[in-house]
Amino acid sequence: MTEALAKSSPMQLGKLKTQHIMLLVIAALLPGISVATWFFGWGLIINIGLACCFAISCEALALYVQKKPIKAALNDNSAIVTAFLFAITIPPGSTWWLVLFGIAFAILIAKHAYGGLGQNPFNPAMCGYLFLLLTFPLQMTSWHIPIEQGTLSPIGWEGFKQSILAVFPFLFASAESMVTTIDGMTMATPLIVSKMAGTNALLEANEAGLALFLRSSETGWELMNIAYMLGGLSLLAFGIIRWHIPLSIIVTVAVVSTLFYSPNSSAVFGTPYLHLFGSATMVGAFFIATDPVSAATTTKGRIFYGIIIGLSIYGIRVWGSYLDSIAIAVLFGNFCAPIFDYYCRPRVYGHTKRSLFARVTGSKP
Amino acid sequence: MSTDSAFKLNDIKLRPHRIFGGIKPPAFKSSSMRSRIMPSPIPERLILSLRQHQGSAALPLVNVGDMVLKYQLIAAADQESALNLHAPTSGKIVAIESALIPSQLQQSEMCIHLQPDNKDNAIALNEISDYRAKTNADLVALVKQAGICGLGGAGYPTANKLKASIDIEAELLIINAAECEPYITADEALLREFAKEVVSGAEILQKICLASRCIIAIEKNKKEAVSALAAALNNSSISLVQLPAKYPAGGEKQIVQGVTGLEVPSGGYPPDIGVLVQNVGTAYAVHQAIVEGKPCISRITTLTGAPLQTPKNFSVLIGTPVSFLFEVCGIEEEQLTGAIVGGSIMGVELADLQAPVVKTTNCLIAKSTQEFPEAGKEQACIRCGFCADVCPAKLLPQQLYAYARSCNRDELESHGLFDCIECGACAYVCPSNIPLVQYYRASKQSFAKQLKQEEKSLYWQSRFQTHQYRLKKNQEDKLSQRKTKKNQAEV
Repeated sequence: MTEALAKSSPMQLGKLKTQHIMLLVIAALLPGISVATWFFGWGLIINIGLACCFAISCEALALYVQKKPIKAALNDNSAIVTAFLFAITIPPGSTWWLVLFGIAFAILIAKHAYGGLGQNPFNPAMCGYLFLLLTFPLQMTSWHIPIEQGTLSPIGWEGFKQSILAVFPFLFASAESMVTTIDGMTMATPLIVSKMAGTNALLEANEAGLALFLRSSETGWELMNIAYMLGGLSLLAFGIIRWHIPLSIIVTVAVVSTLFYSPNSSAVFGTPYLHLFGSATMVGAFFIATDPVSAATTTKGRIFYGIIIGLSIYGIRVWGSYLDSIAIAVLFGNFCAPIFDYYCRPRVYGHTKRSLFARVTGSKP
Repeated sequence: MSTDSAFKLNDIKLRPHRIFGGIKPPAFKSSSMRSRIMPSPIPERLILSLRQHQGSAALPLVNVGDMVLKYQLIAAADQESALNLHAPTSGKIVAIESALIPSQLQQSEMCIHLQPDNKDNAIALNEISDYRAKTNADLVALVKQAGICGLGGAGYPTANKLKASIDIEAELLIINAAECEPYITADEALLREFAKEVVSGAEILQKICLASRCIIAIEKNKKEAVSALAAALNNSSISLVQLPAKYPAGGEKQIVQGVTGLEVPSGGYPPDIGVLVQNVGTAYAVHQAIVEGKPCISRITTLTGAPLQTPKNFSVLIGTPVSFLFEVCGIEEEQLTGAIVGGSIMGVELADLQAPVVKTTNCLIAKSTQEFPEAGKEQACIRCGFCADVCPAKLLPQQLYAYARSCNRDELESHGLFDCIECGACAYVCPSNIPLVQYYRASKQSFAKQLKQEEKSLYWQSRFQTHQYRLKKNQEDKLSQRKTKKNQAEV
């Protein structure tokens, strides 16, 4: 471009910049993170801190290797958002090397191998999560909650100590103390409970008194989801995200889980309530699927993208072999996003509407 | 007019319709609206460009050393797209040489340099007592004679526009008073003080273009202008439509949509659907030209910006240097970092403050770092889609940007690059500081270049082929001639 062109309009610019958007996303995550910490302990906070450090280091390394300006690119805060999203999806109190592997895969492979911010076709945080789920399935499916003298004590001093030890196992005095502590801290998520019940069929379901399926057994999960939902709604109110993706995901999950739910049958699919508030659906719908870089970018495309993700979330949970499915569903949505964008273009001012057939076949109207 | 007219516009209710996209930037209009319109003093030298707009240059009728009188024709339009140019005041022609003028491309143009004698002696004007007695062709000729062009921005010669709308029998005349861009208040100030004259101009325009209906469209937040207009429109068939304040509601295509709900077809102009759009400033100039007999020698220009002590609207003589106007407003030199011609969104940076006001200069903004800080560094596009939400043409600027970077001509075209009106709303909201409009302009220019080259190569290819064919034919002819000669010799 010539200099004369580079100096031209517009002279006046809006105030909202990329780094502000990223900070607002993090701010909107905070209520959910607070609730999650209250119920599941310091492990989450430690993981977030760790993930941020690793993410910034990996980002700096990638930029250095590519000889790109490091400071300017770090200022956009995108690596920190990836770190936050990654850390809240992995089990709290995950070991440090788990966080490192996940973040390194997310930043170095999923983001920078494709050209850095704005170029990655897949959500980096979810790529990191999925990488861990495939390589370390055991570590990725158990949630640790600190216990003090036989009762749950997520945020006490003892809990903090246990979380620290869970993240940094090399600090243990002996291998023996490690085994006892970790054992006391493992629990299953409501979805796992639901799924196990499903595979063990009717008997166990009856034993649990169906209450399990009417409502999530853990209030922690409920409150956490509500907090994430409120955070997401505030992003909507600030105009950072549009309503199309979250709404279409939530509606799709709600509709499909209502259709397949029958309380008295042996097939246990979980209530709509469990699917919306007893899992990671809200985080997925408001924070992960809305990552603009990898999501669909047209209005109609976003709705289709949300529907695909909603269907995948439910399908993988109920019929698939993975326990929670946000990561896979979002990545599946990412695969489809370019196609949706290409065929869901809005009618341009002054043009006549072209039929979908004409657009797909490329024929003139 | 009958209801079975060609465009069927008479059944359409004229009321505010929703336009696509749009932004609501801070307006910064109040400071220049504080005082009334002031006639600007006569500067020491007027620089009158032979090309006042995006058209061809006029032919100068004067020589260096000539004395001219106010309103005297000094350059004539010898081509369809040129504009007549008149002397804004009396004085001596001191030079005819090139000078920088404010425009998109920052180019220099041949200019007539006039040194005023401060006597302001004028030639006699032909006032017309009743324009209604004149034929439309005469009125168009008078408009052309007065050298009037669209004073809203693009500067298309008004006479040509009127001729075109007579040819297609336009049914609706829209007088555009939206003035949606920040900082500009020229039209608002004009309406506040000269609403009657504007309405008179609009009536003349309506008579000329034979439109059955005429409306004035204005943003509803311009309270004083609206009430002045409402008073002037008493006993007039012209109606008023108040549009919601939104940029770019005043764009030509957008105002058609905002008033009628119809869209101008892609690649076309409002007359294609029977609509003629004229700016209020143009209507005022037409009133002056027809009723008072005055050619277009001045216009209303907003002078604003933080470095000016008294921002205001001037009735400024065409050719007045920008620096002179800044001085009249009391400029704080240490704050000044440059000047913008036009509004803060579609305006262009002025390379030299000595450049003169031309007929299309509606606003001059004195820049300061406090109001116009250096734009941040261009960052990666995160495809947030803010740009698509505000695009008034309903394009996908984020996709166009990606295709522009990869020079993908087919996709750029199918994504509607040429439907982009370069309003800059996308770049305004872009959180990554991407100068999107510049990418589109560069792509459009490279396309035009490519197209020219393709045409050229096709031309030379066909020339080459004919040449080859001729050579071959010549050879064949020679052979056959030789053969016949040989045969004859043998016989």
